[in-house]
Amino acid sequence: MSAPYSDVIREHARHPRNYGALAAPDIRHEDVNPLCGDRVRIEVALARDGTVAEARFQGDLCAIAKASASVLTELIRWRTPGDVTEDELFEALHADIPPARRKCVQLPLEVLQAGIRRRATR
Amino acid sequence: MFVSDDGSIFGSVTIGGCIDARVIEEAAASAEPHVVHFQLGDEDAWEIGLTCGGGVDVLVERLSDAAFDVYETAKKELDAGRSVAIATTLKGPNAGERRIVDAAAVQSGDDVYVEVLRPPVTLYVVGAGEVAIPLVAFAKTLGFRTVVIDNRPRFATRERFPDADELRVGIVSEIAGELRYGPTTPVVLVAHDYKVEGPVLQRVLAEDVPYVGLLGSRRRGPAILQLLREDGVAEEQLARVRVPIGLDLGGQSAAEIALSIVAEVVAVMHGRSGAALSARS
Repeated sequence: MSAPYSDVIREHARHPRNYGALAAPDIRHEDVNPLCGDRVRIEVALARDGTVAEARFQGDLCAIAKASASVLTELIRWRTPGDVTEDELFEALHADIPPARRKCVQLPLEVLQAGIRRRATR
Repeated sequence: MFVSDDGSIFGSVTIGGCIDARVIEEAAASAEPHVVHFQLGDEDAWEIGLTCGGGVDVLVERLSDAAFDVYETAKKELDAGRSVAIATTLKGPNAGERRIVDAAAVQSGDDVYVEVLRPPVTLYVVGAGEVAIPLVAFAKTLGFRTVVIDNRPRFATRERFPDADELRVGIVSEIAGELRYGPTTPVVLVAHDYKVEGPVLQRVLAEDVPYVGLLGSRRRGPAILQLLREDGVAEEQLARVRVPIGLDLGGQSAAEIALSIVAEVVAVMHGRSGAALSARS
């Protein structure tokens, strides 16, 4: 672990992976942190076996939230979308996230999970 | 100025209204189109509180259905965001006749008056914080359309912005990509949030907008611009960003800052510096 802005966070915030939209996503969900204004939309296209074939995100995001969304879209590829845990995401960021900024990391994952739930109830 | 049969009026010929009363009398007296010359001698001008005097020619006429048709056509052009010019014949048997013309091809003269109408200014306000509230109210008074954009639904509300023509809530950078830009769409960024400022600035600096202002200090502003520079935005585009935003009015409250911003927008739209008139030689 290192400072809040680890090399991983800096790199993904500056050069986010999978930023954009999918033409026909199976899962699409968007939400906002009403206080800070972090807003993210996650889109996922599933393969026939139910694993994630492609994932994209878009939004107005601080550096930590953008890095979190970017790393998340890499982590979930070829896994079932609900597989990635919060601990795994925090670990992948290699950063010592202070309590006040944990929400920034959690938001993209919460949006993905909400999208999965919404799809399940359709 | 329009004067109805019942005497009610809409608009005016002059700012002070001294000519207007006489125009109303003329309108009531004759239905035939005719040009009336009003001359204010220095003595008259002094008597009514002016010190300049001068003269003005006013076309007085009863509006025909044909004239209304021309105005309807003009309104459609304006609603589509395009400027339109109306030429009105002032003299002869066709006095009062109007037609849509190419403003570049016809100029006002003794026989024809060309009125160029421009679409209303649409002010894009990015960020629905405290400064945006009086800013939108001032803009409304100026006749601007206003579009307020924010990613936080609890900020961009109708309760906070009763005067806004449009409230857009969502991914701000995405909304910025959907807006229509042009010479009548100044953009004000008062979000004070780098996660929306960068993407929005990148978008609007690629467009022919007359004004781009960014709320931020002399330290923060250059830092935002440096990020854009690293993303490849050209220096001449970065130079268009007015940061710190607004004229130097000295105010500190949200309303005072908003006033300085809207004053700068007006000055820039008219190609002026915003300096005091009394300081001009």
